[in-house]
Amino acid sequence: MSARRIVLTSGKGGVGKTTTTANVGAALAQRGHRVVLVDADIGLRNLDLVLGVEKRIVFDLVEVVEGRCQLRQALIRDKRFETLAILPAAQTRDKEAVTEEQMARVAEELAATADFVLIDSPAGIEHGFRNAVAAATEAIVVTTPEVSSIRDADRVIGKLNERALPYRLIVNRVRADMVRSGDMMSVDDVCDILSSELLGIVPDDEEIIDTTNRGEPVVLAEASRLGAIYDKIARRLEGELVPFTRLDEPGLFGRLFAAFKAS
Amino acid sequence: MREFASEVPAAPPQEHGRGRSIVITSGKGGVGKTTTTANLGAALAARGARVVMIDADVGLRNLDIVLGLESRVRYHLLDVLEERVELDDALVRDKRSELLFLLAAAQAREKEDVDTAQMTALVERLRERFDYVLIDSPAGIEVGFRNAIAGADEALIVCMPEVSSVRDADRVVGLLPPAMRPQLIVNRVRPHLVRKGKMLSVDDVNAILRLPLLGVIVDEPAVITATNRGEPVALDASSQTGSAFRAIAARLAGEDVAAPAPREAGVLAKLGALFRGRR
Repeated sequence: MSARRIVLTSGKGGVGKTTTTANVGAALAQRGHRVVLVDADIGLRNLDLVLGVEKRIVFDLVEVVEGRCQLRQALIRDKRFETLAILPAAQTRDKEAVTEEQMARVAEELAATADFVLIDSPAGIEHGFRNAVAAATEAIVVTTPEVSSIRDADRVIGKLNERALPYRLIVNRVRADMVRSGDMMSVDDVCDILSSELLGIVPDDEEIIDTTNRGEPVVLAEASRLGAIYDKIARRLEGELVPFTRLDEPGLFGRLFAAFKAS
Repeated sequence: MREFASEVPAAPPQEHGRGRSIVITSGKGGVGKTTTTANLGAALAARGARVVMIDADVGLRNLDIVLGLESRVRYHLLDVLEERVELDDALVRDKRSELLFLLAAAQAREKEDVDTAQMTALVERLRERFDYVLIDSPAGIEVGFRNAIAGADEALIVCMPEVSSVRDADRVVGLLPPAMRPQLIVNRVRPHLVRKGKMLSVDDVNAILRLPLLGVIVDEPAVITATNRGEPVALDASSQTGSAFRAIAARLAGEDVAAPAPREAGVLAKLGALFRGRR
């Protein structure tokens, strides 16, 4: 059976696409799945840094597409998870170096020997975004509870709808204290505005800054709050009905759970 | 519809008759380009300069939100470039300052729709009437980025103290014509994490980028609140971030302003040393 090909996208940059890709990928691998992560951000690659494999890159996506190496030669196997591999982007090339058809072909080839192919989209809705989306059969939209991020997510969801690509939402960097004080939108508000099905709620936690800088997926850290959250997201991707962790938002839990059951 | 027209500055702003065109860019998204553009614009206008901000993020505009002007946007950049409306009709005056104007991006269009030569010509036109033309670049290094830098003479690089942001900034600096002489703003520094060795210091960032340092902004939740409310924090006299943006505006205007004293003693020495090292 061919793998699920999931693009992680957001419109706005810096909301956590790459961190989410690395950690959801690691969580899926930890659960025994064969996972390939594709960095589609040609020219501004970062997924290799977040996973700490930047020194092991030999070939990249563009070289695969141009037939200058075999796909398997470009894949970097993660040292911590046997079933996790990454296909790095080229750093010194442009996004125009790859077409949508080429990207889709690479993803299909990867899908033949994996369970999940996660594609880390670049920010924006330009050529690089279209390439990333063309390779996918479903999408995860990452947003933070900020007006500009939500507006950009809304625009991206419109683009996904045009392609009839199913999607779910991860609301990232939620600060419960700011939600309570009325200084941040709640997850409820975000889901209402985007009328989207929820896949995960990730709190803003400084743990992620440190693990990202060190190139370590947070799911590896013991007793990590974030690690547990990414594990739940992985289980939801598998199809399990996992209740959402309440982030001290009054009345949130019931509504989210109701929304989840309705799906 | 033309009510704003008479308020738009018409006289050449400087003796040489042309304002400065400055692009705010970063490579990586979400590091604070738009927030920086809005706050620098507000701070420069508060100093008496005539400022126009161009949102070059066609399709994903946000500068109007950060300034709280979204309900006043009638026309956008592409309406002007494609000559459907007069420039003055598309310029939105800020609520708080008579000297500050916004040219919003089109939301339902693509970045590929912008003609680079027309964009450059537009910036030139604006430089005849404003002291500063601030261009808010989209994330990435694709068409939108190339159009954003096309009309600019100078560049500000916004970077967060994170490895990926530094790498992307380095890539962008390599793509800019050297004549633009990019200057650095390090944004969202968390001094307590720097002290614990869990975040890059400003020193670390600039050891790699080696750019003239224009300013350092400490990460403050108040900025999120201000952004959500559409109120530039630069106008808040009590805000530490606001005073950092005002200092950046002053330095941009050529004043020799010392680094604002950060409340965290640990980075104080480092920051001070960096600024003393500035040309």
